[in-house]
Amino acid sequence: MTAPGLETEGLTLRLGRFSLDGVSLEVAPGEILVLLGRNGAGKSVCLETIAGFHRPQCGRIRIAGRDVTALSPERRRIGFVLQNFGLFPHLTVARNVAIGGEARGGAAGRDALLERFGIAHLAQSRPAQLSPGEKQRTALARALASRPDLFLFDEPFSALDAATSETLRDELGGFLRCAGIPAVFVTHDRTDALALGDRIAVIEGGAIRQHGPTAAVFARPGSIAIARLLGIENILEGRVAAAADDRLSIALGDGSLEAAQPAAALAPGQPVTLCIPGEAIRLLPPQSPLPPQRRRARVAAQLRAGPLWKIALECGFPLTAYALPQTLRECALVPGGIVDIEIDADAIHVLAAERGSVNG
Amino acid sequence: MAARVSDPPAATGNWAPAAALLRLVFWLLGMVLLAVVALPLLRLALAPSIANLVAAARDVEVRDALWLSLEGAALAALVAMVLGVPLAYLLARGRFRGRGFIAAVVDLPLSVPHTVSGIALLMVFGRRGIIGAPAEAYLGLRFWATLAGIVVAMVFVAAPYMVSAARIAFAAVDPRLEMVARSLGLGPWRVFFRVTLPLAWHGIATGFTLTFARAISEFAAVAMLVYYPMTAPVKIYELFLRFGLDEAAAAAVLLLAVTLALFLVFRHFAYGEAAAGGGR
Repeated sequence: MTAPGLETEGLTLRLGRFSLDGVSLEVAPGEILVLLGRNGAGKSVCLETIAGFHRPQCGRIRIAGRDVTALSPERRRIGFVLQNFGLFPHLTVARNVAIGGEARGGAAGRDALLERFGIAHLAQSRPAQLSPGEKQRTALARALASRPDLFLFDEPFSALDAATSETLRDELGGFLRCAGIPAVFVTHDRTDALALGDRIAVIEGGAIRQHGPTAAVFARPGSIAIARLLGIENILEGRVAAAADDRLSIALGDGSLEAAQPAAALAPGQPVTLCIPGEAIRLLPPQSPLPPQRRRARVAAQLRAGPLWKIALECGFPLTAYALPQTLRECALVPGGIVDIEIDADAIHVLAAERGSVNG
Repeated sequence: MAARVSDPPAATGNWAPAAALLRLVFWLLGMVLLAVVALPLLRLALAPSIANLVAAARDVEVRDALWLSLEGAALAALVAMVLGVPLAYLLARGRFRGRGFIAAVVDLPLSVPHTVSGIALLMVFGRRGIIGAPAEAYLGLRFWATLAGIVVAMVFVAAPYMVSAARIAFAAVDPRLEMVARSLGLGPWRVFFRVTLPLAWHGIATGFTLTFARAISEFAAVAMLVYYPMTAPVKIYELFLRFGLDEAAAAAVLLLAVTLALFLVFRHFAYGEAAAGGGR
């Protein structure tokens, strides 16, 4: 293995009600891996194991090419950032940062770090007096002072309001991409995953269920449970009506859909689950006659979703789509009204139905 | 009725009759308790004449007894802190078997009658006790009629306060802050002294104060194990037996004044420190 960065190989561990089951991850330098999972999925245990707080029953951990499996946490060179950023409340910002440098070659870089993160004027403040943004910058400065080979983030934004976490997410993403230090970011929030993840690993029951580039994981979730976790708006049960080489016709509800997906291993009549992201559905003003590739839908309900509108549609089967306010006006959308829709065939993901998989 | 729109809503929150009644009843009950606690102390404080107080303060035996009490209680609180804080940390953090049992054993002296404590202590630290006898034979260390015995008895009765307070304080320190400190390169000892202990300090100081207060007030266990030299409570009892209430009251007021003053100093130290440390 040549990749310097982080490599874990078959990490296995049992710890009370948590466990890890053969977790193998790889993060290249400068890359952000998002470890996505529900509460209790084993995300934090996985991070703490990488950081050295739990001894795996088997498996290996390599950071920057060093095998650290047997090293104690203080010798692994890891920047660990927690929910609320984990600053030491009894120390000033300056001393928080200094403590990071202390163990590894003195506090010489402290002032430079305070400058670099724009917190020099806060040097004598206590963490309780800082805004979330200032806390994040202090935590990053402190971690950087210890010259880490790897960053671990454990849901740092989960206690913040949406607007603040968005700002901090952008700031963190910018920092990590410049710093060139590999990072693992644990979250249950798909917004974090989309914004920060170069790649995503989905963890469930202590095992990695899917692992790949962010766009690929969102486009092709490996199971219904993963699709739900990713927040895919439309997860629909259907049946294969016809299968050609690279096109599938799926019957669902009172209608049908065409999906551009290799038909391999899917025979007509077989039950399947369709995953269609809400953003893959285009809303258009009704036109008659109905152009090919389009279908007509009834607007069942429309709800605000941040700056967008979330539109519940009915076209033989239920669909959820998003609309900009201007689209709402252009299409004259009203509850009970009619709209034309176009679904990108490539965005329709077909999963062979799982046995007893009603709930993820 | 338009004018009423801006009126404060009537009969809600704490102004509703039921809520007012509840507060009234609670105040009355609380006042009864306060009277039971405060009246005897006030009456005692006003009992001796100035002349009696001065006489008591001039009495070398009374002064020695007071001093010995302070010394013993301070040493006992220190011993309880040095031995109890590590145990409190283990109890707060550990997930080991027998944790509940150990915690119960530590708390046990709280519910043991003081004379029972005295007898139990005599059997272990007394002249023929299972530790007392060999300690004298091999180390020349005696627990009867010595400061060491006073400290041992005080530690026995007062240490639970130290351990509980410190345990609660440690439990309130987020273990993940310790993890962060470790990941920053600090070894376990440095993490404890740089992060955990400072964050738990307020609770530990409170425990120290309670331990000191409990130690200085102990009579039975100290009297049974040691008797001579006399601590203040023992001396007060002796004065009461030999000379009666008035003589004893003067010494008692002196002890009360000293302990109250110390208690205030400790409290200021513990809470003042926390306030300056940006507890908010």
